Amino acid sequence: MATSKNDAVENARKDLARRLNINAADIQEQSVDDADFPDMALGAPEDGEMSGQMITNGWRIKLKAQGQTYEYRADKNQIRAYKFKGKNYRI
Amino acid sequence: MNRNNFFIHLALALVLILVAAFAGQLSRWRKQWKPPRIVPASEKKQPTTSDEIALSETRSFGSPEVLVKFKSGVSDDEIETLTARLHDRVEDRIENADGFEAIDDLDNADPASVVAEYSKLPEVEYAEPNYEIKLDEEDAEGPLVPVLPHDPQFENQWALSNSGQKGGKKGADISATLAWATTTGSDKLVVAVLDTGVDYTHEDLAGNMWTRPDSLAPYHDAELGTIDDVNGFNAIDNASDPMDDNGHGTHCAGIIGAEGENDLGIAGVNWKVQIMPLKFMNASGSGTTKDAIEAISYAIDRKKAGVNVRIISASWGSTQRSRALEAAIRKAYENDILFVAAAGNSSVDNDRTPHYPSSYDVPNVISVAALDRHDQLASFSNFGAKSVAIGAPGVDILSTWLGNEYEEKSGTSMATPVVSGVAALVLAEHPRMSVDDLRKKLLASTDPIVALKGKTVTGGRINAAKALD
Repeated sequence: MATSKNDAVENARKDLARRLNINAADIQEQSVDDADFPDMALGAPEDGEMSGQMITNGWRIKLKAQGQTYEYRADKNQIRAYKFKGKNYRI
Repeated sequence: MNRNNFFIHLALALVLILVAAFAGQLSRWRKQWKPPRIVPASEKKQPTTSDEIALSETRSFGSPEVLVKFKSGVSDDEIETLTARLHDRVEDRIENADGFEAIDDLDNADPASVVAEYSKLPEVEYAEPNYEIKLDEEDAEGPLVPVLPHDPQFENQWALSNSGQKGGKKGADISATLAWATTTGSDKLVVAVLDTGVDYTHEDLAGNMWTRPDSLAPYHDAELGTIDDVNGFNAIDNASDPMDDNGHGTHCAGIIGAEGENDLGIAGVNWKVQIMPLKFMNASGSGTTKDAIEAISYAIDRKKAGVNVRIISASWGSTQRSRALEAAIRKAYENDILFVAAAGNSSVDNDRTPHYPSSYDVPNVISVAALDRHDQLASFSNFGAKSVAIGAPGVDILSTWLGNEYEEKSGTSMATPVVSGVAALVLAEHPRMSVDDLRKKLLASTDPIVALKGKTVTGGRINAAKALD
């Protein structure tokens, strides 16, 4: 199912709240920008994941919580947490 | 003559004049008709246009032997009498050249002596041998003639023919139109597209899709059981349907083998070929090592069963090394299958940061970097003087997409099937060429590109016409 930019931001916020064990209302939206990612894993592959090597349009979502900035990457097909505590996650 | 007879004769005369006029026009049309510009793909090394053909003259010893120009005032009857006396005959009167006759010597004498004989006659202005004009043999075999398909969006396929469209560099392409003078592909050859699947119903692909022949039993694997692989293989669910749910695989398939000269969309590097879809990546464009290995194993098994799979096109990868995947690719090599792989899109040096499977040191692997329409290394493309073999167009590449659509995409994903497509053309022309020789041939068939010097093994862009030399 295709994901819109707003849906992607909302899902990213929920995911971060779950990972940090905080309320979603305590997370600020720092920026949401259109971006070209290097591959179909949006430059955020999970361990062992292969991906198509096609430039992929999507959104770079930056959220702020507890004084830190967290990056999510999304396109119409997926949302990923980028280097959350050093690792990528597809959510 | 009464009034009625007069009109009947007048009508008959008019009919005769019209018939004569029509016959004359037909004759002119026949002389003026020129064959279409497109050269039949089955014919090799055709010249471009008649004015580009080098001519040479050779003496003809066929008939007519001599051309004779009689002086003005010599009648046709006198000419007939003269030629009959010399035991010759007038074979033809040259239109638009008054008094010029082509004479056939019925004794088959040497043309030079016939010329001498006529030159002595007071009625003759001059005589000369009938020269036969031939194509110079060397030139007839020489320059290839570009073959241009009528696919309506071909003009946007700069990778195949870069005329400088959208500000690109003229000639920064793979010389596909010259290669097509030699071959446009073979429907005997199978190229496996290991990807997100392929939309095998796409109108520009359907005619070039592999389907399991009735003579071949459904695929059986000890672990997976029996799978009805009529349209290819799906390693994700092992349920056999390799329909693309992303678009990436369909795009790659179109680059290799969208039907050419079908008045639809685009032309692939191969106008005819068999595309075998091997789906291992999901709707997001990602997949697992295990599924990639299963799909490669399927291709190998089908090769062993008699399917002519000679190329696997792999527009994907990661930085994680897998010995199991490397072993599967080596197994493909042992079964004479070329493995063409994307160098990756992280703008890094693969010599330092390897990207797999393109960086596996296996003899059948060709790693491909991406070039833009200006012959520059794409800003995103990985490179590697030791680990990336060759460059190919990979920016703004138009190809097939889901739902009978066409889209422009960029990536080493797009450069990879260009090289796979050229490999298929070579195999179409040399079906028995080994995978070792094929790889050598491809790497020796490049145009040197400044931007690739020191960035790839060959330092060049693949050239399809050179690969078919």
